[in-house]
Amino acid sequence: MHKKRREKVTSPVITLGDDGLKLRWIGLVVGVIFIAAAFIVSIPFGGFQRFSHAYLLNFCFYASIALGSLFFVAILYLTRAGWGVTLRRIAEYLAMGLILMLVLLLPIVIPMFLGYDDLYIWNAEGWSKDYAVPVEGSVDMHATEKMEKTKSAFLNSGRFILFNVVYFAIWIAAATFFLKTSLKQDATGAKKISLRNQAISAPFMILFAATLVFASFDWEMTLEPLWFSTMFPVYFFAGSVLGALSMIVLVALMIQRSGRVTAEITIDHYHDMAKLMFAFVFFWGYIAFSQFMLIWYANLPEESFWFEMRFKPEWVGISVLLLFGHVLIPFMGIMARTVRRNKNFLLFASIYLLLMHWIDHWWIVMPSLTRETGAMYFPIVEVLLMIGMGGLFMSSFCYWAGDRPLVPVKDPWLGEALNYENA
Amino acid sequence: MTQSNTEKETRLVGLLAQFDDPDSLMQACESARVDGGYTRMDAFTPFPVHGIDQAIGIKRTILPFIVLFVGLNACLGGIVLQWYTNAASFSPIFPGYDFRISGKPTWSLPANVPVIFEIIVLSSAFAAFFGMLILNKLPRLANPLHRISRFKRVTNDRFFLMIEERDDNFDLEQTRAQLNDWGAVEVEEVNEDMTDRKFPAVIKTALILLLVVLMLPPVLIYRARGMVSRSPRLHVVPDMDWQLKYEAQEIGPTTLEGRKVETEYLFPGQSAAQKQLIGTVSRDEIVGDSELTTGIAKDNTVPNLNAIPTSRYQEPPGGEQKKQENPPEPKWLTKFPESITVNDQLLARGRERFNIYCSVCHGISGEGDGFVNKRAMELALTGKSEWTEVKNLHDPTIVVQPVGKIFDTITHGRATMGPYRDQIDVNDRWAIVAYVKALQELKLTPKPKEDANSGDGKTDGGKKADGKKADGGKKVEPKVTAGKGDAAKKSDPNKKSDPNKKSDSDKKEDKKSDDASKTENGKKEDSADSKKENKSDDG
Amino acid sequence: MATTADQFVDNTSDDPGRRAPLVTGGLDYTGVTEKVAGIMEAEKPPKIWYVLFGISSLITLMLGGLILHLLMKGTGVWGNNNPVYWGWPIVNFVFWVGIGHAGTLISAILFLFRQNWRTSINRAAEAMTIFAVVCAGMFPGIHIGRVWVFYWLFPIPTEHLAMWPNFRSPLLWDVFAVSTYATVSLVFWYMGMIPDLATFRDRSRSKIKKFIYGLFSLGWTGSCRHWHRYEAAYMILAALATPLVLSVHTIVSFDFAVSQVPGWHTTIFPPYFVAGAIFSGFAMVITLMVPARKLFKLENLITKRHLENMCKIIVATGMMVGTAYGIEFFIAWYSGNPYEGFAFINRVFGNYAWAYWIMVSCNVIVPQLFWIKWCRTTPWFMVVVCIFVNIGMWFERFVITITSLSRDFVPSSWAYFRPTLVDIGMLIGSFGLFTTLFLLFLRYLPVVAMAEVKSVMPHEHGDHGDHDDHEEKTAADPA
Repeated sequence: MHKKRREKVTSPVITLGDDGLKLRWIGLVVGVIFIAAAFIVSIPFGGFQRFSHAYLLNFCFYASIALGSLFFVAILYLTRAGWGVTLRRIAEYLAMGLILMLVLLLPIVIPMFLGYDDLYIWNAEGWSKDYAVPVEGSVDMHATEKMEKTKSAFLNSGRFILFNVVYFAIWIAAATFFLKTSLKQDATGAKKISLRNQAISAPFMILFAATLVFASFDWEMTLEPLWFSTMFPVYFFAGSVLGALSMIVLVALMIQRSGRVTAEITIDHYHDMAKLMFAFVFFWGYIAFSQFMLIWYANLPEESFWFEMRFKPEWVGISVLLLFGHVLIPFMGIMARTVRRNKNFLLFASIYLLLMHWIDHWWIVMPSLTRETGAMYFPIVEVLLMIGMGGLFMSSFCYWAGDRPLVPVKDPWLGEALNYENA
Repeated sequence: MTQSNTEKETRLVGLLAQFDDPDSLMQACESARVDGGYTRMDAFTPFPVHGIDQAIGIKRTILPFIVLFVGLNACLGGIVLQWYTNAASFSPIFPGYDFRISGKPTWSLPANVPVIFEIIVLSSAFAAFFGMLILNKLPRLANPLHRISRFKRVTNDRFFLMIEERDDNFDLEQTRAQLNDWGAVEVEEVNEDMTDRKFPAVIKTALILLLVVLMLPPVLIYRARGMVSRSPRLHVVPDMDWQLKYEAQEIGPTTLEGRKVETEYLFPGQSAAQKQLIGTVSRDEIVGDSELTTGIAKDNTVPNLNAIPTSRYQEPPGGEQKKQENPPEPKWLTKFPESITVNDQLLARGRERFNIYCSVCHGISGEGDGFVNKRAMELALTGKSEWTEVKNLHDPTIVVQPVGKIFDTITHGRATMGPYRDQIDVNDRWAIVAYVKALQELKLTPKPKEDANSGDGKTDGGKKADGKKADGGKKVEPKVTAGKGDAAKKSDPNKKSDPNKKSDSDKKEDKKSDDASKTENGKKEDSADSKKENKSDDG
Repeated sequence: MATTADQFVDNTSDDPGRRAPLVTGGLDYTGVTEKVAGIMEAEKPPKIWYVLFGISSLITLMLGGLILHLLMKGTGVWGNNNPVYWGWPIVNFVFWVGIGHAGTLISAILFLFRQNWRTSINRAAEAMTIFAVVCAGMFPGIHIGRVWVFYWLFPIPTEHLAMWPNFRSPLLWDVFAVSTYATVSLVFWYMGMIPDLATFRDRSRSKIKKFIYGLFSLGWTGSCRHWHRYEAAYMILAALATPLVLSVHTIVSFDFAVSQVPGWHTTIFPPYFVAGAIFSGFAMVITLMVPARKLFKLENLITKRHLENMCKIIVATGMMVGTAYGIEFFIAWYSGNPYEGFAFINRVFGNYAWAYWIMVSCNVIVPQLFWIKWCRTTPWFMVVVCIFVNIGMWFERFVITITSLSRDFVPSSWAYFRPTLVDIGMLIGSFGLFTTLFLLFLRYLPVVAMAEVKSVMPHEHGDHGDHDDHEEKTAADPA
């Protein structure tokens, strides 16, 4: 009854090959067309201010997926995990998307550098004067002016750009390092490389935590310059990892559907990914609830206005949708073992969770656009941008995958991963 | 052990085969299922062996579904428990406790999530543990396998396969041969001793004794519930129950619970408090104007008995008698003092203070339906406590009271109502008086269609000096924000609806009770007079 | 067959592609059983056991006396006073609950993550959890003042009280969380112990032991049908205990964070408290297990690799705690809230600055030593570091609780909290209680989960070649 132990990659096709080249161009064309379309549509509906918010939303969405993938790679090394080796290469290519994200950061920082405050209102002096806090009489105006003075040490374009350069330098260096060394191991199979990557993953985690904390503050928390929450980086992180896990599963399923690496990624790996997705659905719910609960319970107007904006009639539906769609439904949905071992369901679940992750960012970013009215735009510009940037992201993945193998063919742990049984 | 030849009766249970390592056991299981066609068999291992479930043909357990079912019910249970105890306003058996605490709505789900979660986890964990035991038919302390000495190593390092006699394919000799073929180290018969299947008497007695002992405390407690005891209450912390201190307004040594407490007078004249230093100024004197601070006209000669402090627990000598006699009242102010200007601001302030300090008992519209009163009445009606019903401020006897008297009541309290002079500032007390008068007025002169305006009219008409301000303000009560929104918002519809609903009946009652009050307060000033004066004050 | 030779292989070096052995010294199934059961079967424990037991039970007696004193005199015997009403009892409570987190974490989360090395230490860690929760539950228990009406905390319909507990209060959540945690941990611990108790039953010679172990092992036979459901139940309990571990310290953190007290009201408290709890819990496991493995010669079961892995978790969670300190500080400044800013400046330079610096140096700086391999593979040295970590984590709770309270919104009520001798005696006493229980556990119960360790060992005699590296935890996964 014992199956023969497998030690080597056996699938006939383990690279993207020509299809990858095709997809690379398709993604690029789709990206350019849809981003242009989004820009044109935004002109009559909300102008550049809306475009920049929608742009930031999608930037955060894809950047969080790339960051989550980078985390996934590092945590596999850090924990000496054997089971996930066959999925690691996909995560490595996804993490290289951070180079694309650096380019896509330009439309955010260039207007900022030029002094526009369409996106981040703190970029123009005196923002606190006409900053209408949506809660009646909650913050007295002199206090906000004082706060602007204090915060200007942090909330200024120079610091923002400098910090973002540092974040991306660290992330891209790490992503490149992990990919390069892993590819080198494909050729040599040297165990030394695994040892070194394991050793480096630990200090990298510290840098990763520090940069992610400030990146989450910079990109999304400072949209409301008066709002603050110490939990926010953890919230951002939880969503990112969930998004990355869903994306890795989605990419792996698509690659296998096209007849590549069919023997290497088994249902047992998907089963484990589904368990991790389940865990992070719960973790996200836990973090989101704790953040909401503490602010709701203490009821301090200086914090609660952020949730107040999202509980206005236009947005309350989305808030409730997040509760059910992002936590309760997937929690019940991915609980059963049979479901976790069903590829068709997992395809649906990964797309669904990515959509929820997108809605989460939409819910974080967009209310700041209409903070005076509390209105909600029908998300045309946002969705067009999601498709456009998604095209570019896919293009980036195919570029890095190129003719390279989709699994680390000589990783020392490959044997364990191939024979992995998820009982 | 097996030597008894009396009426030893045994039954063959099955054949037990021993193996020395998990892999040969696994192969034997596989062979037994596939080649031998056995279904009623069991393997015994010191630790869970991966893959043996399939080898022996075990179906997946239904335990997860049991746990899920219990968990979902626990979720529902947790919600219902908290809703019933904290938010339900009806009381089928035990009343709910639907009090607003720290500004949270009585039914506030976010705050209920932690307890719901814990209840789910606890119930599911019990379901998993006890479900496992029940499905495994454990505990089973008497098992023929435990009588086999070889089997003792099953919890250490040996592996066993038992094919049961119940199996259709079971044949003692054939099965034994098969097991040997499949690599068994030893094969042994398992016999169940049928001789004495009774439950051991010693254990039975011990269990019954234990049960009896365990029942003692609850029985004792239950018995104590219905008993009247003459012996003094058990004092767990004596120095908390008998504190060496002077109670407020206390004279002489304390005698509590039959225990005389030795006290020393701290100050001469049997006083526990130091005498006021010369030149001490009382709070009321600081303001200067005695009319403002007492509510009594300057030319008054009658002492205000209400202002003399008496302990709530100490009835004044012949107190009941005196109260009924209606002692002469001082000359109450019938107009607001000079320095108080009745205008929108004052009324708004009064409304705010009223809602904070008074509405808990008197109700937001002053009808005596505050939740403290409601609750206390509920307890009083069931005999759990004593309570004097809170006055309805629209009661004719109160409506006729001059402003000075209402002020005095707020200042010094009356009956169970405590004094508020230390908590509410003098000007605020007058503001409350004005607001109370406005409330009463609103009830007496209902104009269903122009509620808001009627209020306006009153205040405007009352003080022409403030005409300029009143013209601008449409609202009689500016929006009050200090009450964190909810209380203020809620009171609006209440107030508006009250005159509409009850106006007719109230009118009748007012007429009746006007007459009644005339006879009641015969010694007081004529009620009609005071009413007139009130009107001229308030509008 | 059973090799008890004291040859310790250093299994701490990494060789990618091969899993380091988790049981060294050539122990086989029998050897494992004899190592663990030998402790219970020995005529007498080592002398040092008697010495330790004597000391700790005396300290426990002192604790009992102090509690009696407290009940007779009232809570005034503590240093708690306006404005620091939450003094040492609450600090000790949070500290002990935190210690109690490592056990369930090792049993549940590491089980779900298939970290096989947990099998040697999970039993002792779970026992530690339960004893720590006993110590933790004691403090709020005696802090409520009138302990004889403690049942008012539960939703029991009482005629004379005629009211229910307020379910919107975080203190009531605590009651539910801590009691649920204690119960579920106990169930988890006991269920894990059933097969090992059966081993003790089958090996013990005295009638009394046979009866007691037999009673508590519920007639366990090791039937694979039983194992199947047992593993399903174990998996479910692990899956339930994981969020439970998170929830308990989260709810403890809610006690602080739902308030508006500066320094308490920060949204990161839940994950930060959980990380801190795991941090201190693992430090306590090392502090206990290093002497215990020496005392009962368990070095081949609780190997250096086990200890090293725990040291790594200590660094990781220590960094998380450090990051949380940093975020709190940044946001205290960034928020522009003067009260929040003051609270944090006051922590660093104010009246309790000494406590703050003890906390930072013990929690953030000292664990950094574990980056050095020598430090995390030298048992005596890690005990030293872990003791510092535990001191640091106690002071973390001290800093949070007392610094913020001693500087109220109203400067007129500012005060400096000083513990009384009773306070200090009770903290020491709680350690005595904890140690007493743990020593009893070491002597009479299976210290290492034998069945679980055997299940992660390579199969014996199984010369099938394809099974040599088979080490995965064979866990049924129902959910």
